[in-house]
Amino acid sequence: MTTEQFTKEFELARPHLKSYILRITASMADTEDIVQDSYIKASLKLDTFKGDSTVKTWIFTIASNIAKDNLRAKKRWPETVTDICREKALNNPDYFPEIANLMHTSPQAQFEIKEHITFCLTCISKSLPLEQQICILLKEVYDFKVSEIVEIIESTEAMVKYYLHTSRSKMTNVYEGRCALINKEGTCHQCSELNGIFNPKQDFEVEKNKIEFAKKANDPNRQNLLDLRFKIMKEIDPFNSNGSALQLHHLEHNKKIMENF
Amino acid sequence: MTTLTSNGKALTVKKTFSRETGVSIDIQADKSIIWALLTNANDYPRWNSTIISIDGTIAANEKIKLKAKLDPKREFKLSVKEFQPESTLVWGDGMGKRIYTLKTIGNNLTNFSMNEKIGGPIFPLFAKMIPPFDQAFEQFARDLKSEAETISKTK
Repeated sequence: MTTEQFTKEFELARPHLKSYILRITASMADTEDIVQDSYIKASLKLDTFKGDSTVKTWIFTIASNIAKDNLRAKKRWPETVTDICREKALNNPDYFPEIANLMHTSPQAQFEIKEHITFCLTCISKSLPLEQQICILLKEVYDFKVSEIVEIIESTEAMVKYYLHTSRSKMTNVYEGRCALINKEGTCHQCSELNGIFNPKQDFEVEKNKIEFAKKANDPNRQNLLDLRFKIMKEIDPFNSNGSALQLHHLEHNKKIMENF
Repeated sequence: MTTLTSNGKALTVKKTFSRETGVSIDIQADKSIIWALLTNANDYPRWNSTIISIDGTIAANEKIKLKAKLDPKREFKLSVKEFQPESTLVWGDGMGKRIYTLKTIGNNLTNFSMNEKIGGPIFPLFAKMIPPFDQAFEQFARDLKSEAETISKTK
């Protein structure tokens, strides 16, 4: 493969790669660095690419390894990350002025519940062990097959299946205990609270019923609800959506809090 | 110990100075899935209904703290005495040890066995205070089989 052909393939993969790395690192700066480093690293060893996998799988393998190195020494986030960060935001006098400024200056600072659900999914997935988070994102959001994930994380099919199953069970349980959208006893109302702040004229119940998994809150198969969350995530580009500037600001805020937690 | 049949039924052999319980079951899953379940300490309560918690790391020469539903008030402080990946795991204390063994017996088919022997010179003094393990062992084996086979079917 020539460098030109590779660059073309890389550019095709770049949007997915960027969003994948962002969801793993929760850092815009790290994402930019890792994506750029992945391009350089892959370009330098193009001769080692034998075509046993797709170029996209190979790029994701290189990027995942760089991201894992970047995250190795960092703590995983607790399941209660959104509660902790909410408290910090409320006690930070600069937080809401920053948001207000963003809303006046950026065309991509609208608050949409779906985007906040994606933000929430990113945060909760960071409470999983890293290998599990990587596997579930690759499978449910970026449509990689189990056999491709085996290559990307350099593991076995059995372990990838173990990671996928375990991460799904854990996330389902976390949401079951926390999310007020699917469980009346849920402790987290953050999306409705923020919607009330940013969109005071909207009726939250009406907006909520536009979200498929909220409508299906009584589905006894709780994993179906998780699939619907991933479906929303799959449809949103965190760098280029109606509220990307706002949600990236939230994510950066949470990352800073978690670094000192 | 009398040879166990792989039917998931526990068997206990009582002697004056020891008691030994074992269970064996065939599981339609790769050894590595079962090994992952047996060695991820903090994941046990999710799939194993006999365990309340395991704190620590299940790895060679590590120490763990285990709480079981059979005797929920006690916390067992155990050492990992043997750790042969995808083959043998042994943990225990001065009173006894539990041995987990995995053997591939076919394509994607693994035999799991679990055996625990407790005893010693003063065993007769407290033997009656130790509840029977049979039901808990059978439940452990059932839970492990169910979880491993579910994981194995992941597509």
